Amino acid sequence: MHLELNSRGRFAAGAVALAMGLAACMHAADVEIVKAGSIKTALSLKGMRADSQAASKTFRKVLEADLVRSGWFEIAVGGASVDVSGFCQGSGDRLTGQCRVVNNIAGKTLLSEQLRGQVANPRQLAHRTADAIVKAVKGVPGIASTQIVMVGARVGRQDLYLCDADGARLRRATHDGAVCLSPSWGKGVLEILYTSFHNGYPDAYRIDLGGGRRIRLAAYPGLNTGAVLSPDGRRIAMTLSKDGNPDLYVKDLRSGVLSRITRTAYAAEASPSWSPDGRQLVFVSDRAGRPQLYVQALYGKTAKRLTYEGRENAAPDWAADGRIAYSSRRGGTYEICIYDPVARRHTQLTRGDGDWEDPSWAPDSRHIVCTRTSGYRSHLYILDVMGDPPLRLTSSEGDWYSPDWSSQ
Amino acid sequence: MKSSLRYMGVLTVGVAVLAGGCKTDSDEMGESLIIEELDGDHALMERFEDRVRVTDVSFDPVGFRYDSYQIDGGEVGKLNRVADYLRGNGDVSLVVEGHSDERGSREYNMSLGEHRALAVRAYLIGLGVDSARIQTRSYGAEKPVDMGHNEAAWTNNRRGEFALYR
Repeated sequence: MHLELNSRGRFAAGAVALAMGLAACMHAADVEIVKAGSIKTALSLKGMRADSQAASKTFRKVLEADLVRSGWFEIAVGGASVDVSGFCQGSGDRLTGQCRVVNNIAGKTLLSEQLRGQVANPRQLAHRTADAIVKAVKGVPGIASTQIVMVGARVGRQDLYLCDADGARLRRATHDGAVCLSPSWGKGVLEILYTSFHNGYPDAYRIDLGGGRRIRLAAYPGLNTGAVLSPDGRRIAMTLSKDGNPDLYVKDLRSGVLSRITRTAYAAEASPSWSPDGRQLVFVSDRAGRPQLYVQALYGKTAKRLTYEGRENAAPDWAADGRIAYSSRRGGTYEICIYDPVARRHTQLTRGDGDWEDPSWAPDSRHIVCTRTSGYRSHLYILDVMGDPPLRLTSSEGDWYSPDWSSQ
Repeated sequence: MKSSLRYMGVLTVGVAVLAGGCKTDSDEMGESLIIEELDGDHALMERFEDRVRVTDVSFDPVGFRYDSYQIDGGEVGKLNRVADYLRGNGDVSLVVEGHSDERGSREYNMSLGEHRALAVRAYLIGLGVDSARIQTRSYGAEKPVDMGHNEAAWTNNRRGEFALYR
């Protein structure tokens, strides 16, 4: 087996070691194609046909792009280990995708499914089909159907925007033109928590996308920022300064009871992120002089410092698989780093060429969306911890930052 | 005090112009996702912003060192002048606005800006100003006064400002 760093040389050896470990776990019958970046399974889409309707053609094109973006596949012309066949056809306003996935080497059918969608939305049907294929072949959640929320600043006006995981369907979620900060997904893809100044002060809100409503979560004196929903959906962690200092608090949504998590009279806390089991928070604190990451059990008394390397460490995001991504000031630039709590090791994922900040994990625990700022302009990029090169997500004019990737 | 779940009116009405097609940079939907706004179950305290802004007097902003909320000795004179004014004008209230420079995490910068504003507030209270007359508001790195990207600009942007209301 031959391995090499991707052409831009931006990824650490740790990512390759991780890829090798995963390769060892893959099905022995996989044909592995190794070029730049991560190891891919050769997949053929020759047998996937579309009728002549525009929607069906879009489906076919988006499906192929989604499978490539998943990171797991290389579209092969011949000699594929996985064949995807089927068809996509429209009838009236209905779009139907029939999909069969066969492991050629084992001669085993991994998926045979008919998915229904709408001619008006062929991208959505393609995303769902791609995720079903990723799940069937790799046993991991796909990311094609997920969404990303971000702050967009265009012509001096800030608002929240949403887009699909491939950057398509960029759309504005708020129309305030007021300073807004740190959006995060609430329940599914129906809720967004964030902080907005549209009433003059940094108050925390929950947007109910389904009902088209915005509900105020916290408007205490001072700061109300960083609201994030616990994995069980029952509590919100956030930063408040109502008791004289920026500290972390957790609000139980059922009882309304607010618990103070940190009590640091001479330090500021920020950016809480929940552990996958909802029992711990990772957050930023400057109690040691500069912003560093700490982990604290929800009802524990003490916090454990997580980062010592890097002049500043901030913006942690805890992945479903237990790893923590964060931005670290290394030398003159901010870089995305990963902490693996099992190996107790920090790995640097980006290597200069701008400032890389605000990481947020995809539900596959493989991809990360983050902000890259270069020449004072900010765009979102997708990183791959298994070694594929960074992909730019946003292309529209403006500055795009503070992304959060939906968990489904 | 505001009652809970009070309907606050229609904010924006959608003007949907969703371009079809499959361009990945397809323009935004004009459709607004928020059609009404509800209060949460938690009551707001009165905020000074609802009052009239005092514009006939202004004070120099207090500067801060990088990643610090501590008030330097050289900045104390500015705070003494603000305290003197507030003691002589009992009907005036103050919002201390905390700011950071552009570097680093936006969310941490919000906390740092708030910490700076609270340090200024605590200092003024220590000089005898009634705590009920001083509120804080952090803008983090969101409202730079100097648009440059160098040490001089960063120094200007790390500041506490004084917004007076009557």
